[in-house]
Amino acid sequence: MNPDEIRITAEPIDTARCKFLVSQPLHTAGVRRFSSPEEAKGSPLAEAIFAIPGAAVAELIVSGNLITVVKGSATPWPAVGKSIGAAIRSALASGAPPIAPKPAAAVADDDTLYDRVAGLFDSEVNPMVARHGGRVELIDVQDAVVMLRMGGGCQGCGMADVTLRQGIEAMLQQHVPEVKGVVDITDHSAGTDPYFAAAKK
Amino acid sequence: MPRPSSPRLLLLLPTTTYRTAAFVEAARRLGVALTVASDEPSTFESSQPAGLLTLDFAHLDRAVEQAAVFAREHPIAGVVGVDDDTAVLAAVIVERLSAAGELKGNPVTAALAARDKHRQRVLLAEHGVPAPAFELHALEEDPAGLAHRVRYPCVLKPLRLSASRGVMRADDGAGFVSAFGRLKAILKQPDVAACGEPARHFLVEDFVPGVEVALEGLVADGCLRVLALFDKPDPLDGPFFEETIYVTPSRLPERAERAIAACAQAAVTALGIREGPVHAELRHNDRGAWLIELAARPIGGRCGAVLRFETREGGNAKRETLSLEEVVIRHALGMPLTALEREQRAAGVMMIPVPGTGGGVLREVRGVAEARAVPLVEDVAITAHRGQTLVPWPEGSRYPGFIFARGETPEAVEAALRMAHRRLQFVTG
Repeated sequence: MNPDEIRITAEPIDTARCKFLVSQPLHTAGVRRFSSPEEAKGSPLAEAIFAIPGAAVAELIVSGNLITVVKGSATPWPAVGKSIGAAIRSALASGAPPIAPKPAAAVADDDTLYDRVAGLFDSEVNPMVARHGGRVELIDVQDAVVMLRMGGGCQGCGMADVTLRQGIEAMLQQHVPEVKGVVDITDHSAGTDPYFAAAKK
Repeated sequence: MPRPSSPRLLLLLPTTTYRTAAFVEAARRLGVALTVASDEPSTFESSQPAGLLTLDFAHLDRAVEQAAVFAREHPIAGVVGVDDDTAVLAAVIVERLSAAGELKGNPVTAALAARDKHRQRVLLAEHGVPAPAFELHALEEDPAGLAHRVRYPCVLKPLRLSASRGVMRADDGAGFVSAFGRLKAILKQPDVAACGEPARHFLVEDFVPGVEVALEGLVADGCLRVLALFDKPDPLDGPFFEETIYVTPSRLPERAERAIAACAQAAVTALGIREGPVHAELRHNDRGAWLIELAARPIGGRCGAVLRFETREGGNAKRETLSLEEVVIRHALGMPLTALEREQRAAGVMMIPVPGTGGGVLREVRGVAEARAVPLVEDVAITAHRGQTLVPWPEGSRYPGFIFARGETPEAVEAALRMAHRRLQFVTG
């Protein structure tokens, strides 16, 4: 593959998190999350991103054409993004899978958690957010971290973080305490009908 | 996740605030137990009664009673409001729950004076704080008659609205009558008229020439600590006063900065503010510093994201980086904040103006990736959603988005913000 044909769009979420949308798929077998360089071993793209000097990359989440990078350094995204873009192009150009499949043992544990979280979403979470025209989609469970996407009235809602942290995450802590964290991969800027829209300065 | 013994913060968040994510994430980073109180119920409130609370923001007596009932079961260690109205409610709740002064907060009279622009000006004048000369008028007055009596140039200003909504300059009688009509229409809008008596009056004050700055500060025991001073490089000479660019550190001479800080401290004292964040707008000219507005809350919109602070506590050599929201929460909970400095780099934010003169329904925003690619630009956050009606100032008060940049000098940051803005195209219809 010619690296010049690969198009990458960076969408910073905040100073710590940035999404990179790639014109080619990076990982088609669900979602993979890496929280350390050790976990990245065997996945060339993840290894390369963790190795970017000065970025202090703390976490990667890869799904389809999307990779979300969490960094600990204060280096601005435009500077780090160039190195991430180069790593993505290099990994895709090599022809080898940029991301390895999830280890079987982890899959079994996460699959069990997935079923329990999905059940909670069906029975409790979605009926609640539906009252504000919202919905929450369980994308995957990786290393006991839940990845979800919000839609409808929740997408772009000014109170989405309250729903996420004070509602969904708190319920997960009560009902599925093995869950270690929750990651929202929603593109809130694309929401067209948020239940609460920010209005004041 | 908070520890079982973590102090509980009661965070007062209007459903319309831009500041939800910043405050919720700050509370998480600090590991405090968080209760979000809002004016509309969360759909999760019944299942998470310790973490979510609905308060009747429009009726203080009812809201404080609701908070007191909640606090009996879930003791509160600090209360934070994020805008003018919730700053008043925070003061009322602190007064009710903290008979022995164990919670940090402002006297209710101070919070009310900071919210009400007329009350604020009366107190500033009584204490000799330099501020524009002003008169209070009622909407029922005859605009043509008033236009003959006021001094020009003048500024018409509502008592309660934020984000410079409804603020207009008039240079002559015809301009005054026109501005009066527009202001009257704004104050008659249902969301504004709902605040009652303050929506039936307005201020006419002298226009103060000079450069305008914004001061972000933290008050502890009545003493103001300046956290950041922002230049506003676009002149704010009217006829409307929509904000655009804030850049810190200020490029004003040190003497001017000292005068501005002293003026802000005098205003804090005049209003009786004792604790918590303040955001002040001031002007500086050859006669010195002038207080234009002071609010007992942190900076609005998404602008707080440009501020980062470094702290070194006690003998610990490790420096910690804090957001503005973390500073505010730590102060409210009495957590240590001894050595606190803004980071060394320059930083700035642009509140993206509503495009064109007539606004319109937002269909698409083009050039976001190109704007983000401008060197020094850290983020371009489009907060308006497709289908949203964009209303220009003075009737409007919602920015379609924000651009953030950080660099070695204020000049470089300002240039980056302007370049990024030029790359954006808002398609409206």
